[in-house]
Amino acid sequence: MAVKRTYEVMYIGTPETSDDDITKLNEAIEKMITDDGGSIVKTEAMGRRKLAYPINKKTEGHYTLFEIEGSGQEIAELERRMRVNDTIMRYMTVRVDEERKTAEKHRSKREDRQNKRKSFAGGNESRETTAGDNAPENQ
Amino acid sequence: MERNTKSIDESIVVKEIDLGDEQKTERMPRRYQRRRQGQFVPDYIDWKDVDFLKRFVPERAKIMPRRISGISAKDQRRIARAIKRARTMALLPFVTD
Repeated sequence: MAVKRTYEVMYIGTPETSDDDITKLNEAIEKMITDDGGSIVKTEAMGRRKLAYPINKKTEGHYTLFEIEGSGQEIAELERRMRVNDTIMRYMTVRVDEERKTAEKHRSKREDRQNKRKSFAGGNESRETTAGDNAPENQ
Repeated sequence: MERNTKSIDESIVVKEIDLGDEQKTERMPRRYQRRRQGQFVPDYIDWKDVDFLKRFVPERAKIMPRRISGISAKDQRRIARAIKRARTMALLPFVTD
């Protein structure tokens, strides 16, 4: 496994399924991912939620979010299984590692800038002393 | 002489205003809400953060155009992408009536 990628996988289960079935399904998915060489960063059952628009004439759904680390092979397998699962109305996978990396880059850059500014404002006195040191030499 | 020119000037001014008012009703582009200044956009836009994304989705559930949201083009693209992802997962509506 050369490249490690982070994915967010979210699915909406039909509102008829019980909470027990949802937790069972989540456990099955977790097992499947770990068997395929991926690792679960977190699982978040967001519970029943109202849909913003009806899907398959349903107005509610069980939301679950996974964060998965892996090569991408296990995601393909997971999606294949989710497609045929009747209790899953909709699913989506988003690769997040790259966006997070750029966000982190922006954040650290901004921090660096702020630190520089601070040292500049604080370093005023030292600059004056160096200027004073230079002045006698010129004379 | 002075009075004469003044009256002419005034008449011209009045004419201009009248014309302007007429044109305003027909030709002036619709007045939009003023640009919202100082919008804070985080480094990482989470497509699941519905409350944040809702700030860029007015009542009709359309994505707020940049001329009104007043954010940078880059941020606008990122927000638009996040909104579209949220729509796919029925977190945000496509349309509302």
